[in-house]
Amino acid sequence: MTDRVFAVVGLFSSAQALMDAIPKVRARKLGTVEAYTPYPIHGIEDALGLRRSPLGGMVMVAGVLGAATALFFQWWMSAVDYPIVVGGKALFSWQAFVPIMFELTVLFATFTAGLGMLLLLNRLPFFSHPVLASKAIAGITRDKFALAIEADGGALDVDAASAALRAAGAADLEVLPVAVAQPPALNELSRSVMGIAISCLVAGYVMYWLIKLFPVLPPMVHMQEQPRLDVYKASELFKDGHGMQLPVAGTVARGYLPYLIESPEQAAALVNPLPRTSEVLQKGRTVWNNRCGVCHGALGNGVPTLTAAYGAKPANLQAQTFREYPDGKIYHVIMVGKNAMPSYAADLTDDERWAVVHYLRVLQRAQNAKDEDLK
Amino acid sequence: MASEAVSLPAALRAPVLVEGPVTLGGLDDQVLQYPARKPPLAWYIAFAITASILTLGVSLIGYTFYMGIGVWGNNRPVFWAFDIINFVFWVGIGHAGTLISAILFLFRARWRNAIARFAEAMTIFAVMCAGLFPLIHVGRPWLAFWLFPYPNQRALWTNFRSPLLWDVFAVSTYFSVSLMFWYLGLVPDLASLRDRTTSKVRRFLYTVLSLGWRGSATHWQHYEKAYLLLAGLATGLVLSVHSVVSFDFAVSLVPGWHMTIFPPYFVTGAIFAGFAMVVIVLVVVRETMDLKNLITTYHLDVMNKVILAMACLMGYAYVMEGFTAWYSMDEYLHHIFIQYISGTYGWSGWLTISCNVLIPQLLWFRWFRQRYLGMIFVSIAVTVGMWFERFVIIVVSLHQDYLPSSWHIYKPTLVDFGILLGSFGLFFTLVLLFARVLPVIATTEVKTILPGAQPAHGGGHHD
Repeated sequence: MTDRVFAVVGLFSSAQALMDAIPKVRARKLGTVEAYTPYPIHGIEDALGLRRSPLGGMVMVAGVLGAATALFFQWWMSAVDYPIVVGGKALFSWQAFVPIMFELTVLFATFTAGLGMLLLLNRLPFFSHPVLASKAIAGITRDKFALAIEADGGALDVDAASAALRAAGAADLEVLPVAVAQPPALNELSRSVMGIAISCLVAGYVMYWLIKLFPVLPPMVHMQEQPRLDVYKASELFKDGHGMQLPVAGTVARGYLPYLIESPEQAAALVNPLPRTSEVLQKGRTVWNNRCGVCHGALGNGVPTLTAAYGAKPANLQAQTFREYPDGKIYHVIMVGKNAMPSYAADLTDDERWAVVHYLRVLQRAQNAKDEDLK
Repeated sequence: MASEAVSLPAALRAPVLVEGPVTLGGLDDQVLQYPARKPPLAWYIAFAITASILTLGVSLIGYTFYMGIGVWGNNRPVFWAFDIINFVFWVGIGHAGTLISAILFLFRARWRNAIARFAEAMTIFAVMCAGLFPLIHVGRPWLAFWLFPYPNQRALWTNFRSPLLWDVFAVSTYFSVSLMFWYLGLVPDLASLRDRTTSKVRRFLYTVLSLGWRGSATHWQHYEKAYLLLAGLATGLVLSVHSVVSFDFAVSLVPGWHMTIFPPYFVTGAIFAGFAMVVIVLVVVRETMDLKNLITTYHLDVMNKVILAMACLMGYAYVMEGFTAWYSMDEYLHHIFIQYISGTYGWSGWLTISCNVLIPQLLWFRWFRQRYLGMIFVSIAVTVGMWFERFVIIVVSLHQDYLPSSWHIYKPTLVDFGILLGSFGLFFTLVLLFARVLPVIATTEVKTILPGAQPAHGGGHHD
């Protein structure tokens, strides 16, 4: 223990007694006079000559800073960094930013008021103050009012201070030495703070890797697991285990009605369902040039472009036989083929087949024009 | 004229804030004994019940996370249902605490000192319950941090023009500020606990939590200033939070939501529901913890008068809302207001009006304001009524929107009810734990209003 003295403390049993004693003790000018009380006492700051709390100004500054921060970031995020028009509003529509400005003002101001008071102005947490180690503290936080004469820089005259306090009516005088060693609480505190910090770091690190490595564990699947049918994948939904299934027997695809006619004679009865309009004939010409003209020739006269390489002799459709063919028989040939010609059923839709029948009639008529056609 | 010759009528006499002789030390002995004592059997029974309900809620939330929110009754067009009702309900309940601790502090209503601590704690617990619901409603709550604007790989920012984002800021600010306010008030009380406890473990905990508070006049001066500033800030905040919650509705175009009366109407309802909940819990605490001399009949009477005043304001708001709807000449609005009182859900509208406006009128009678049976009945009715008010606003407005082909009758599932029940479990579990480990009355604040606590100023006024 050192001989250096921090303060002499005396106790009073009422707020009134304390307030009466303060001017008497201060008049002796022995050191800094400080009071320790269980609750705030009106007028004590004037009696002790304390300087006004600067907290109001600090909070004001923090509040303005909060509003400015909110306004700046909302402007920068919505109008500069990623400008995007929402609901037809201007990019910098400050009216919509007011609620968050208000919230940040309050948030900044509150933390400044609370933490500023505790940490900056009151210098807390502080566990080794001599008063905390005194016998008086049990009374101070309960029902006693303590007055202390504290050494301001130099040495404190303990006898004079004790006499002054006793003269002012204080009881249970106590001399408080300057704290030399940190009380164990602080070591325990720093250990526990370190412990908490380390646990937070470890927990955060473990969490990071857990989320990184196991994103597919439910419920954190991030929609990677999608219980749907994929065409070329296995599926447990069906007995055969295939995702892709054959159509039900007898299913007819749209636009592909089954062709049940077997002989050209039967087919002769078919009637071309399409009207002879210019669109239909245009369509027929496109189909003829793409599919038929290669062998039968652009004019249908059996003079093709492929003859030498092909080997077979394509039919001359300008011949009398074919000019007298009913539409249905031509259609039948397209559907099932004839001699070396294969079926074109899979390449043409029904409309295209009938359109090309119309177009063939146009070719035949053009090559065998009569006089009255010119009128 | 001698002062004793004048007999003031009861209403004009100074209110009895503390009954019987209470000394500074006696107050500590009375209030601070509980954290050091083994709780009675009744506490364990109550805790077992609330903790079981909480466990039920937690399990159902886990089930929801695993299965997805399809296990709830929400379906188009009623995308918001129990989750948002419960959110608004709990945020509202939180408002009483801040009102008591901040607004009544600024008004120098000294009766608040005895109940402020408890009400603030209830605020924090209620906001925790409230925050839970939007969190689980997002479906993938582990990604809820996407709600905050932070630099991210998607290179996107949040939409600052959305009331839902304002809500994120408002509720998280509200929680932080309430927590700060509550903790600040606790510090001197924790110091008292530190200096009277004999247990080593508790002493260590209280030492750390009280930050080495030593009650010096300099500290008190800054402390009082900070408290005053926080009260001022929280006053603005408490009015803003539920206004922002109401923007979630009022800024949309849903008939029945798009109304300018919503912010004040929501704030009133919040204070109303909050006071009712405070009365319910306070009566139980007052009785079981033997605090009748500190929470007097006067306190309960004043609280019930606040409830009555708020009930009249709610009545006004309902009538005004109806008038606005009628005066709007808008067919859709007319239709939805008729649905409030006569459609499939018509009963909920009538339940709301009865519980929130008609039943609280009983508080005009002193018997109802001062007897447990009366005030508990009214307070429970108000709590039920305020929940159904949000049901009417949210579900009934949504279930029939502009397009009749998408109309849909909403039916909650058992999971919905279980999670609602679970939030009550969470709230009351926290309340019980709080009553067990921390001082339920702000002893430091009550000390300042004990007779003779302040020095005489030679006839001067207290400020």
